[in-house]
Amino acid sequence: MFTVQINDQQLQLDDGEKLNAIQAAQRVGIEIPQYCWHPTLTVVASCRMCLIETGQRKADGTTDMVPKLVPGCQLPVKDGTVIVTNSPRVEQAQKATLEYLLLNHPLDCPVCDQAGECFLQDYSYRFGRGHTRLQEPKLLRDDKDHIGDQITLFTDRCVMCTRCVRFTREISGTSELQVIQRGNHAEIDIFPGEPCNNKLAGNVVDLCPVGALCSKDFLYKQRVWWLQTTSSVCPGCSTGCSVHVEQNSDVVHRLRPRVNPQAQGHYMCDEGRFGWKYIHSPDRIRAPQIRSANGTQANTNWTTALATVRESMSGAAMRNGESVAGVFSPWMTVEEAYLLASYLHELSPQTRMALGPVPITGDDDFYPKDVHAKASGEPTFVIRAEKCPNRRGVEAVLRRFRGQVIDFDQMMRETARRPIDALYLTGGYDQYCWTGEQVDRLKYLGFLVVQDIVASPLTAAATVILAGGSFAEKDGTFVNKAGLAQSIRRSIRSPGEARPDGRILWDLCGRTGLFHAGKLRQEIANEIPELGRLQSELGEEGVRLFESATEPTLTSTTGR
Amino acid sequence: MSALTNEMRDLIRAEFHKYPNLRAVVLPALHIVHDRHRCVSLEAVREIAELLELQPAEVHDTMTFYGFFRESDNPLGKRRVWICRSLSCALRGGEELLEQLAQRLDCIPGKTSPDGRYSLEFGECLGVCEGAPCMLVDDVCHSNLDADQAVQVLEKLDSGKSNSAGTKNESAVR
Amino acid sequence: MKHELVLLKRVDSPAGPGLTGYQADGGYQGLRAALKMAPDDVTKMVIDSRLRGRGGAGFPCGLKWTFLPKNHPGPIYLCLNADESEPGTFNNRILMEKDPHQVLEGMIITCFAIRSQTAYIYLRYEFGESYRILQRAIDECYANNLLGKNILGSDLCLDIYLHRGAGAYICGEETGLIESLEGKRAWPRIKPPYPAIEGLFRKPTIVNNVETLACVTHILARGVEWFKSQGIPADPSNPRDVGSYGPKLYCVSGHVNRPGCFELPLGVTSRELIDEHSGGVWKGRKAKAVVPGGVSMGFLSADELDVPLDFEAPLKAGCLGLGTAALVVVDDQTSMVDVVYNTTRFFAHESCGQCTPCREGTSWMQKILERIRQGHGQMRDLDLLQELADSMGILPGTTICGLSDGAAWPIKNALTKFRQDFVDYIQSGRRAPQSALAAAH
Repeated sequence: MFTVQINDQQLQLDDGEKLNAIQAAQRVGIEIPQYCWHPTLTVVASCRMCLIETGQRKADGTTDMVPKLVPGCQLPVKDGTVIVTNSPRVEQAQKATLEYLLLNHPLDCPVCDQAGECFLQDYSYRFGRGHTRLQEPKLLRDDKDHIGDQITLFTDRCVMCTRCVRFTREISGTSELQVIQRGNHAEIDIFPGEPCNNKLAGNVVDLCPVGALCSKDFLYKQRVWWLQTTSSVCPGCSTGCSVHVEQNSDVVHRLRPRVNPQAQGHYMCDEGRFGWKYIHSPDRIRAPQIRSANGTQANTNWTTALATVRESMSGAAMRNGESVAGVFSPWMTVEEAYLLASYLHELSPQTRMALGPVPITGDDDFYPKDVHAKASGEPTFVIRAEKCPNRRGVEAVLRRFRGQVIDFDQMMRETARRPIDALYLTGGYDQYCWTGEQVDRLKYLGFLVVQDIVASPLTAAATVILAGGSFAEKDGTFVNKAGLAQSIRRSIRSPGEARPDGRILWDLCGRTGLFHAGKLRQEIANEIPELGRLQSELGEEGVRLFESATEPTLTSTTGR
Repeated sequence: MSALTNEMRDLIRAEFHKYPNLRAVVLPALHIVHDRHRCVSLEAVREIAELLELQPAEVHDTMTFYGFFRESDNPLGKRRVWICRSLSCALRGGEELLEQLAQRLDCIPGKTSPDGRYSLEFGECLGVCEGAPCMLVDDVCHSNLDADQAVQVLEKLDSGKSNSAGTKNESAVR
Repeated sequence: MKHELVLLKRVDSPAGPGLTGYQADGGYQGLRAALKMAPDDVTKMVIDSRLRGRGGAGFPCGLKWTFLPKNHPGPIYLCLNADESEPGTFNNRILMEKDPHQVLEGMIITCFAIRSQTAYIYLRYEFGESYRILQRAIDECYANNLLGKNILGSDLCLDIYLHRGAGAYICGEETGLIESLEGKRAWPRIKPPYPAIEGLFRKPTIVNNVETLACVTHILARGVEWFKSQGIPADPSNPRDVGSYGPKLYCVSGHVNRPGCFELPLGVTSRELIDEHSGGVWKGRKAKAVVPGGVSMGFLSADELDVPLDFEAPLKAGCLGLGTAALVVVDDQTSMVDVVYNTTRFFAHESCGQCTPCREGTSWMQKILERIRQGHGQMRDLDLLQELADSMGILPGTTICGLSDGAAWPIKNALTKFRQDFVDYIQSGRRAPQSALAAAH
């Protein structure tokens, strides 16, 4: 243990903890303002916003103060370090730096996307002087819409913190961004004709502490203070990035990475960042549907739809348990998979359960890249080839109920010997992933329930369509590739009559009361030893289910 | 068509052994190309980057910092003429010399004369303060000049009698 | 007092600047002496000589070498800082052009002392003549076993490479130089780590000025006592003063009759330099101000011409330091507003743009000074200039390197020592012609 003094507060730190003054101050709730420092990037100490006074406590109780100001980002704290963040000298330096930064910065906050979450605004309000003493015209620079397919640069607003440049050099390794010119003429740019379109590029918008780098996707869509933010998990791949889902009036406007050292760290990929648009697809299924005698599908109400499902599934199960099956999408939450498995098992212990298709695209994509676009060095980020959020969670449920995991194709191949009469199939995929051949097989089933979110050839084959919810519409648990269980949280209501899948399955099971993911998780933890650690609160960072990231031996999985 | 000739590539490669990594060859490579092309085109930047196993943006970042290398939209003329404007020269007429040469050579600082003979630049202290005001022609300095003498020096250089320019770099050393 | 020239001894020597002439005049004796010693004893000699860096900061040279890690297995680099760009300064150019071998000899001795096998000369591009002369001298060294493998039969192996800059003042800052040498923009690094621990290519590195290493040559050849026989001894009442010993090259330029470079013992005064060595102020005028050591050091006023130009006295006169010992003399017909406009424009142009206060502040100060020169100044501008100048630099701690201290100091000194010049401009509403400095002829 060692002690650091920050203003009049004492902070105890464990031996070996390596913090700079900014981080140490954060621990006692004191914010040292700063722009260029970022915990994942090299320290450049160039914005000079985090200047503080520091000293060293001596054995006799007096303190030796360093005569000059030092940047907090560049000051590692050790036993006896004294940090002063609120002296007149520090406040004067903060005022001065802000005045410099605002010197050539346009005061276009009313039309700036960053307004409301802008560190220049916030710090000016808290630490600035409120007016400029510049009498000359401000420098004007051309905006650069060419930075990337998703990124635009409002050049005048840039404070030259170079976080974005360092990101492309140190995290993505793709080095598209550069500083051009020098001194007061320095600007951020790309090499002409080579835009910043790497798969992690969107992060530079988040990293930008001001309104210089903006997301073209989000630009001018919303004022940020209109948005409500929910902590959740990106479903785009099995990395399971912690995210903020931001919505207004049941419309999601953006996903932002949420810092989680357990999951992905600070960043997310663009596939995830921009890949959620399907949840607002015009083809969203907005109500349950039933195929009538003449073969057409028509909307119905939930009571009728669920009664029909129950009746047909039970009937088939009574005739032959083995002829009833469920297909478990790797997009289901653990809770949903558990409810469906319980339901099917209740119908008959002979009912069959299979894992739905697991989409795999290429190989795991590691960063940083070297100049030859090959992964090199200590990984900073990985985009998984497995493009679904919860294969491991669903598999754990299937193993518990059926001892092994078989996949959809394997189950269908066996239908000649062991015919299926009634099939409950769950979807929720971000992209349609069924082959014509697979759908053809399904068409000939006596009774096919498809619980899904977007109309497709698959839903067209269904006897009953249950209008489910997207990841943004439900509560539950995802288990990522590394075995980390994280909560996803409901951010928006489902469109029309559509319902979050947990609620549909809860009703199907005939359970009383309301679906509550947290309570159900406790039950699952008790029922499934492999998921025993779900007993504890998942919190914001999630809980690691397994000591090692290696997976239990699988009898079979799809596409691997 | 490659922007770098084989000669340039060989010269650049000949620098490799001096440094433990290729990145350090950025400035030498830019000089090699700039000396020969009188500018460094974007294509040349790309090819230098390829040779040095860097991204073009990394080379371009370095290149633009120095303000020394002209890009292909503003190539150097036959001779690059720098007039020092820093204090020692300015105290002895450096700024007037720059102004007058701009007129005489029909060239504004940072650009090239229409006949392509001269590119004029203002220089920050050229380190020949004992010969103020001074003029650097490419990388040879001429001292104690007024506009007439400066033009004379340039004309002599053009007529091939470069060494006869009497004012060249007479350092006062005592 | 006539004193023996050492650093400039061979300028225009009949023996010529080449290796043969240099050796005929006794060159490479310092190296031969060094090679008979242990490397640490060479370092000790340099420490004992109290040689302080000639590049501007005056840091004790031998002490700097001792910061290198002991028994370091990997490469150690020496960088010769030949990016001489401080306005008014040209002594290194003269050393390189007129007697390159004494510089190379100093480098070879230093590499022996610090156990370096690779040295780079970072030479500003504008010194084309120096480039060609140094390259020729290096080639001569390789041809005569003074560079390469087993130098003069010793274990010392050394390569020296010439690396040309591209016109950026900031490359004279040692970590800016290192970044530039590495092929990057010359943004000075944060310290620690200092270059001696982690410098060029992330390896231990010593960066020394040209004149500093030329002095090393002569310390080895002539001994510590010779070196310490010149200059101003340390003030015993000031524990931080390590003395100002040895010969120094003083550059004098600006409004004097005979500008030039003069070798004199440290501690000569501006008055002596102007009156006895540079032929007095031109046109029969009087000196109004003198830059003591490159424009970043600020100004001495006419009352301060007797301040000894050693490493300590200029500080006491309110200047930033001795700097490069390059005097720029300004006559009494010149407005200091025009002078500081010139210096401020220089620093705004040369600011690397990394630290906010320097990037924004230097060009803001330039704008304010330009406004005053255009007849639109207000008295409150002077307070603002003072506030800006006081707030930027490594001394207050607001920037990474000292460039903006250099930008601020001339303004601070001028506001204190020549305030009336500003008041005159503001109260008269006079507009300066575009090239106001030379218009004062």
